[in-house]
Amino acid sequence: MRLAAQIFLGFSVVIGISITDSYVNYNLSEKVNKNTEYVARSETIIRNSSRLHRSIIEMQSAFRGYLLTSDTTFLGAYFEGSEIMPQLFNEQRVLLRNSPSQLKRLDKIAALHQSWIGYSDQLINAKRGVATNPSVYQDLFENKLRKQVGKKINDQISLIFKDLDKSEYRVRAVRRDALNQSVERTRRFSLIFLLLTVVIGIVSTLYIVRLITKRIASMVNLADNISKGEFAIVKDDKNDELTSLSISLNSMSETLNKNIKELEKRNKELNQFAYVVSHDLKAPIRGIYNVTQWIEEDLGGEVSPQMRKYLNIIPDRIKRMEDLIHGLLDYARISREKPLKERVDVDKLVRDIAELIVPENFEVQTMNLPVLSTEKIRLEQVFSNLMSNAVKYSKPEQNGKISISCIELDDFYQFSIADNGIGIEPQFHSKIFEIFQTLREKHAKESTGIGLAIVKKIIDDQHCTINVHSELGEGSVFTFTWPKF
Amino acid sequence: MNSKNIILLVDDDELDVISVERSLKKLDQDYELFTAYNGIEALEILKSQLEEGKGHLPDVILLDLNMPKMNGIEFLKVLRGDDKLKHLKVFVMTTSGEEADRKATEQLGVSGYLIKPLNFNNNTKRSDSMDGFVQFHLRKILASKGL
Repeated sequence: MRLAAQIFLGFSVVIGISITDSYVNYNLSEKVNKNTEYVARSETIIRNSSRLHRSIIEMQSAFRGYLLTSDTTFLGAYFEGSEIMPQLFNEQRVLLRNSPSQLKRLDKIAALHQSWIGYSDQLINAKRGVATNPSVYQDLFENKLRKQVGKKINDQISLIFKDLDKSEYRVRAVRRDALNQSVERTRRFSLIFLLLTVVIGIVSTLYIVRLITKRIASMVNLADNISKGEFAIVKDDKNDELTSLSISLNSMSETLNKNIKELEKRNKELNQFAYVVSHDLKAPIRGIYNVTQWIEEDLGGEVSPQMRKYLNIIPDRIKRMEDLIHGLLDYARISREKPLKERVDVDKLVRDIAELIVPENFEVQTMNLPVLSTEKIRLEQVFSNLMSNAVKYSKPEQNGKISISCIELDDFYQFSIADNGIGIEPQFHSKIFEIFQTLREKHAKESTGIGLAIVKKIIDDQHCTINVHSELGEGSVFTFTWPKF
Repeated sequence: MNSKNIILLVDDDELDVISVERSLKKLDQDYELFTAYNGIEALEILKSQLEEGKGHLPDVILLDLNMPKMNGIEFLKVLRGDDKLKHLKVFVMTTSGEEADRKATEQLGVSGYLIKPLNFNNNTKRSDSMDGFVQFHLRKILASKGL
């Protein structure tokens, strides 16, 4: 799966959980609101019920007061009550519309109250007209009041109220429980979702971070291998964004591998070519040399001084040509042959070289030269070329001096070869290591322009460096590094 | 009685031929020199010598290896395959230092393998120049023949 898809998936899960959380919380809070509403309605029903009951009792008190005292002020509360009652009943009826059993109780109360009103109205009217018609009141008083008709109705009403309230208290308790429960549930769900969001968020983040780190590490590894020259193809079956990077790296690695192989082949061909050419070049020169010898032999004393001068130039030039060919052969041989390593006492090596190629009027100094295991022939070639240069480019007017010293670095020895010769202008410092570059004129002896190129090639092959510090007339210091092992 | 040394030189390089001629002159030997520039010419010379019926086959063959038409090794193979010629004494004289050439000629029974000098570093030593080389070895070859 692509990384972007995995990141998207991770975030989608987290966002999904958040949305679910919100939705569930919304539903739960709706339930809380509804339960709150139910509880509130139950409260109102109970409040209304007691108000209704109180009004009925007040009407009864007013009725009894009037009958006992004949004081009409009592009737104010009575009529006020009978006026307000229908409205109170209606309100309560609306509140109880969903509860048929309670509604039935209410209707019963209303009916009983209505019948009590009929009874009380009769008695009040009779009491008012007692002066004109006392028998009616007397009759009612004896047959109804004395027989406690009103009281019985009211007792019944009280009983029903008691039932109604009891039932409503129960409803309220149930609803309060439901409310508490839904509040509790909302809290619990919120906590669970919060934890879930945090856990999934962290896990998916860690997963993606680890995945990307791992993938990048494998790319870095591949790139490292390429830089080390190991052009291995890395298999990658992840098929994500980094796959294209690994494909690019692989194709780069393949191209590099191909190019390097091609380069190695070309190099080999070139070395072979140099070897063959320099070998074949020798034959014609040999011929020229022979013919010159024969001319000299056969003509002997008949040769004019002018002619002898010309004839003498030929072996000189042949020698130079031969030096060039030998230089080329040496140069080509550096890569053709890999010498074995052996134990080398550099001080002794330098002394031996000095004995062969450094004239006696030169002073050779050595300092701190190590003993190491290395390709002796190569190191010898480097020293003998550098030392022979020091001899070739010495000042004729003074005694030559060559100092060879060494500093030990972490992985390398750093050798320095200093002379008091004619020096090299700084502008030519980079040129002198190129093949066929000599700062001498062409007719000068022993300057082929190959010596330093050989030195440079040997040192390049060892993955080391060489450089020169010099000023014209101030002598030269060649410094090169050489591997310890 | 035939005291003349008969030498067959097979070499495509005219300079080498001249060098051998001059060297023989200097050695003051009684000799007869036949020269061929390749293996085919050399075989023709040998065959014409046989036809004359005088048995004047060369005492020594100096053979170069790198030649056109028929090279030295091909020539040697033909020579060793011919009953009348296979006994002939052959010295290889070449510029080739290849180990393969040396081995091939050794198997074909040559009496010597001489590498022509190509270096001039020690001009003073006569044996290192071509003339010196040829004189040195010719003297040895002729001496070994007991003549």
